[in-house]
Amino acid sequence: MRRGLFPRTVTALCLAFFYLPILVLVINSLNGSRYGGRWGGLSLKWYRLLFSDERIWLSARNTLIVALIATVVSMVLGTAAALALHRHRGRLQDAHYALVFTPLVVPDILMGMSLLLFFVTIAAPLGIVTITLAHITFCVSYVAMVVLARLQDFDDALIEAAHDLGAGHWTTFRRVVLPLLMPGIAAGGLLAFTLSVDDFVISFFVAGPGSSTLPIQVYSMIRHGNPPVINALSTLLLILTVAVVWSCEKLMGRNYADSSRT
Amino acid sequence: MTTGSKAGRRVEWMLTLPSLLWLVVLFVIPTVLVLAISFRPPTPSGGVGDGWTLQTVLALRNPSYPVIVWRTLRLSAETALICLFFGLPVAYLMARSSDRAKRVLLLLVIVPFWTSFLIRIFAWKVLLHPEGVMKQAFAWAGLVAPDASLMYNEGAVLLVLVYTYLPFAILPLYAAAERFDFGLVDAAMDLGCHKFRALLNVFIPGISRGLATALVVVFVPALGSYVIPDIVGGPGGEMLGNKIAQRVFVDRNLPHASALSSLLTVAVVVPMLAGLALRRHRVRPGGVK
Amino acid sequence: MGTDTGQGFLRFEGVSKAFDGVKAVDGVTLSVRKGEIFSLLGPSGCGKTTLLRICAGLETPDAGRVLLDGRDITELPPHERPVNTVFQNYALFPHLSLWENIAFGLRVKGLPRQRIRDEVDAMLGLIQMTDQAHKKPAQISGGQKQRVAIARALVNRPQVLLLDEPLAALDLKLRQKMLVELDDIHDEVGLTFLYVTHDQGEAMGLSDRIAVMNNGVVEQVGTPGEIYETPGNSFTAAFIGDTNFFEGVVKGAAGDGYSVVGVDGFPCEVVCFNDRPRKAGDQVHLSIRPERFVVSLQPAEAGPLHNQVEGIVEEMIYLGAQTRYRILAGAHRLSVLRQHSRFLLDEKPPSWKDRVWVRWHADDGYMLERFRDSDRGLLPLSEQA
Repeated sequence: MRRGLFPRTVTALCLAFFYLPILVLVINSLNGSRYGGRWGGLSLKWYRLLFSDERIWLSARNTLIVALIATVVSMVLGTAAALALHRHRGRLQDAHYALVFTPLVVPDILMGMSLLLFFVTIAAPLGIVTITLAHITFCVSYVAMVVLARLQDFDDALIEAAHDLGAGHWTTFRRVVLPLLMPGIAAGGLLAFTLSVDDFVISFFVAGPGSSTLPIQVYSMIRHGNPPVINALSTLLLILTVAVVWSCEKLMGRNYADSSRT
Repeated sequence: MTTGSKAGRRVEWMLTLPSLLWLVVLFVIPTVLVLAISFRPPTPSGGVGDGWTLQTVLALRNPSYPVIVWRTLRLSAETALICLFFGLPVAYLMARSSDRAKRVLLLLVIVPFWTSFLIRIFAWKVLLHPEGVMKQAFAWAGLVAPDASLMYNEGAVLLVLVYTYLPFAILPLYAAAERFDFGLVDAAMDLGCHKFRALLNVFIPGISRGLATALVVVFVPALGSYVIPDIVGGPGGEMLGNKIAQRVFVDRNLPHASALSSLLTVAVVVPMLAGLALRRHRVRPGGVK
Repeated sequence: MGTDTGQGFLRFEGVSKAFDGVKAVDGVTLSVRKGEIFSLLGPSGCGKTTLLRICAGLETPDAGRVLLDGRDITELPPHERPVNTVFQNYALFPHLSLWENIAFGLRVKGLPRQRIRDEVDAMLGLIQMTDQAHKKPAQISGGQKQRVAIARALVNRPQVLLLDEPLAALDLKLRQKMLVELDDIHDEVGLTFLYVTHDQGEAMGLSDRIAVMNNGVVEQVGTPGEIYETPGNSFTAAFIGDTNFFEGVVKGAAGDGYSVVGVDGFPCEVVCFNDRPRKAGDQVHLSIRPERFVVSLQPAEAGPLHNQVEGIVEEMIYLGAQTRYRILAGAHRLSVLRQHSRFLLDEKPPSWKDRVWVRWHADDGYMLERFRDSDRGLLPLSEQA
């Protein structure tokens, strides 16, 4: 069957739609004029301005700290949750399942709002700690989802084989389950890290004065600051993300290739 | 498996308890708190007062709210439908492509995800800005008046909502189309259907679960939009999320913000329950999973 | 059967089709007669399914024409062709009930409601599934799906019913049962069937005629008997059933199409048959089916058209209805099937390491028109001594 003209046209339009704004952003970061409607000559002045802004680097550091802690904790909690959901059945797991998966469909603003109220009620000081706690909360669900999907392809006979060969629960987990599950856990962690670094809404609600993350900093720059500097920052972030994802693909390429062959 | 034994039971609790406790404390209790605080009075210092009151909930009758609620629902529904309309042909094309082309297309759809959410919205602000490329180009082509604004209206909000959520719609549609047996389209054509009709009669029902997923993953987060209307919307494009944020950050009236959040929760939960009920109802006569 | 009535009801003329530069069907010319069950038989990837899909209109040939009842249908889109297909995995619409599945084609045609109801109900009666009409495809067994798929195609009264490996997804017993049912349905509706299969048993049991396909070309067309008894080439001989190949040189004629052949690796000359006479000195290849050999512990008296060689039993496998022997005779390892016709009290069956005599009639050895050495690989016990 031939692929029709209509799907191809729509796909081409959608891809153009996806990339046009990003392209303009990159070009504008090198544009000497302020709003990009005119070409003000090739210039690196926005990058110079960016590098001289101390607040950006401070908030970037906060973002990294939050993301790293949130990733590690959510990987542990999410993997345990996925194992429990996969291996056990019953009312406890039904409730557990609902609890793990509801946060995925709750809009960010509701989560931010409810966590803010919680922290206010228990009189916790808002800051890096509350942001980290909030990030772990939504990251757990994503890690659990990714690991659980990976477990669906897991051959349970391997666990039985390990038991049959004399391995206890812990040995089986450490020597058989964990190594086989590692690509899934890593993928979940990567997703958690990305989401944490990118989160603005929830962080904005539970951040205290002076505890800014990079997205919060970017937001205040969009609202009050210097747009071309954001162009420069975006371009740098874009290059960084592509580099990170690309090297992850390279590093884990073999594992991904294995997991896709089911 | 090990479910029955005592040791198995202990392992189950060890695996379940950490995430269970965490989510009860940081997800369930806060959510209940939102509902509870909707019935508390505010304090002038921006805190939550003692005692119970219906005052804040009744304040939702303020005539400005129905307009905003309606706009929120309508924009979210429009976003979901537009995403479906454009996402379907893309998903179809991807599913019917060679393995190599599939990988490339999938990558091209996912790459926009890699850029920061805020930055993608900001990119549109730059494009739509009165001095931005798009505005200038449209004005030059005579499509808009030189003094018209592309930004700070509902249209801009809808555009950026679609931009943000289209990949979310494409992925579940593609996953469903990928599993779909295109032999069924052949069969429908063999039985006398024109190709378009065959797709309509067989392909669309065949990926109905993907369609439902795509609708939910666009509609629900769109309901909670806050940043997009905040940056490109202006007063004419405000949604419920903006009102919640205003009550928190501008007036510091937490009970009022809670009441609005409860309202949004209802708006999110009702369509999802309806969707679930509809699915269960549709599946039951068949008796298949 | 009649040879001139309805000759070439469905015709393929020089049909070719390539996918990504690889030829799936290569210049196929075939005639299917009206009312017959015609099978396309061959290993997977031989182009049989592509040919069927070209007939259904689901593929467009790169070259050649398809004629149905004298009309060129090559360019006709699938929904305008008076043919219907029973797909390999049935392709029943999972979201529609069995009744709706069968009604699909009639609905599309826009027939009046009452008429659709009558025809679908009649069809359900024919496949004896009236009481299951409301079920969804996921709720019925493989054999039932099969019947619904056939009913869904037949209800449109196609001029040709195309069947693409319709029994491949069923287990052995069910396959045999469905084969009989298919034959019954064919007798009842009297349609032309174009049947694609890789299973020689199905093709042999069901077909009026068979086209054996390999690498996109038709190797041989004929009735099941012709294909089995007088294979035109080494592929047909080796793909259908088991056989023994021998190479040799014609020494002289023996009258009536018989030739005397000196077979490489045999101590004696053998007599062999082909309708086409061969000259002395011609290089020929013989095919002899394993069940045509007779094995005994004693030599028999030589007759004019009898061949006999001496050998040693190397291996024997008891198969229930028969025993399979491997017998080293001269430089050949013969594959021999011995039918267990009766319980022989007086005669001990040959067993391992016995010295035996293998006999066969000249008619049982057939001289092939074409021989490819690679076709030896198709034989179950392929290595030759």
